[in-house]
Amino acid sequence: MAKALAASKKVMKNYLSELLTDEVPKLEKQTTIAVNKVQNIVENDRLEALLKNVNAELDIAPNKVSTQKGLAQQEIIVEKTDQQPQNEVELITQKSSGDFIEKTPKSYRQGDFQVLFFDVAGLTIAVPLIELGGIHKVDKTTSLMGKPDWFKGVMLYRDEKINVVDTALWVMPEKCDETLINSLNYQYIIMLNDSHWGLKAENLVDTVILQQDEVKWLDSPSKRPWLAGLVKNQMCALLDVDALIVLLNEGSGINQLD
Amino acid sequence: MSDERRSSSVKVDANDEVLQWVTFKLENEIYGINVMQVQEVLRYSEIAPVPGAPLYVLGIINLRGNVVTVIDTRSRFGLEPCDVTDNTRVVVIESEKQVIGILVDSVAEVVYLKASEIDDAPNVGNEESAQFIQGVSNRDGELLILVDLDKLLSDDEWDELKHF
Repeated sequence: MAKALAASKKVMKNYLSELLTDEVPKLEKQTTIAVNKVQNIVENDRLEALLKNVNAELDIAPNKVSTQKGLAQQEIIVEKTDQQPQNEVELITQKSSGDFIEKTPKSYRQGDFQVLFFDVAGLTIAVPLIELGGIHKVDKTTSLMGKPDWFKGVMLYRDEKINVVDTALWVMPEKCDETLINSLNYQYIIMLNDSHWGLKAENLVDTVILQQDEVKWLDSPSKRPWLAGLVKNQMCALLDVDALIVLLNEGSGINQLD
Repeated sequence: MSDERRSSSVKVDANDEVLQWVTFKLENEIYGINVMQVQEVLRYSEIAPVPGAPLYVLGIINLRGNVVTVIDTRSRFGLEPCDVTDNTRVVVIESEKQVIGILVDSVAEVVYLKASEIDDAPNVGNEESAQFIQGVSNRDGELLILVDLDKLLSDDEWDELKHF
């Protein structure tokens, strides 16, 4: 049993890498090779490769790629069609198809900032302290029928109703077999900002002051909006708490993002 | 406090309607149903199974000459079945559609809740059973799940029950 547990933890330690290295398009492989030539530090290379793979743009069909350059070109085409009204073709660009969402810069995107590391099933996750709403001990959670597996129910804390998320089931549902679920020993609830959402955590690891260059930031739109970036030294995910709250409010599991 | 402010405060209290809820237990969770919909609470008695009945129907009971269909509340709420105990009860309820019985682990008490004490349940999940929850309330440190009985069955299922 202990052996199986250790093996499962080892698997989980590599989980982030696996999560981020699926579906590698050729273009990105070339980019990764180019980066390798410039940077010889193995760890940095690995990080770059991971981050390139996280980029959601990789999954977008070539004609829908919305790079800055691409958008500029699309705008030029629109102007041209305005001059030729007899050939009216409705152009739907990436820019026009979605709602405009203004992403306000995070306060922790300047200077040093503190993060809390916690772990779940061998996976370490970082949360910026400024977006940490609090930490509670796990208490009785009332489950509600008809909810997804990752929604464990409502925990009462004084007059507050906390919506408890099984972090392992949310972040890596495909890895959560019965053995892993039974081995989880959740002890804490990590509150997300001032929301009612709390993530279950097994252990609180450490708080660390990070500098901006210690994180590989994911500023471009990604298919994993909950991921603000990767902490280079610890090779772990840094949560974008606000984006995660939005997803949880929508009831989105991680697989519903694809 | 000025008269105007006092009258406004009274108005707020008047709008904060107090409702009574009958609470029952299922799998250690406490649920509440509107007392106005509860006709009576019966001790468990033999429930006669009905061949060909839908899975959510446990069977029928004879209540003073009237046939009442008993719903398997546990299966409806996605819970595992459990053995009948001395505390098991059939709560006879009257919904908008008809009179049915729901089998519960035990019936606890009648509680008074102000409308302001009831919160919406988290809007997560689109399974049918998620619709049953009318709201949640913190009652003496325990979370009370308030059930909307009219949504316990779909329109088709209510129609189906009429044939029993």
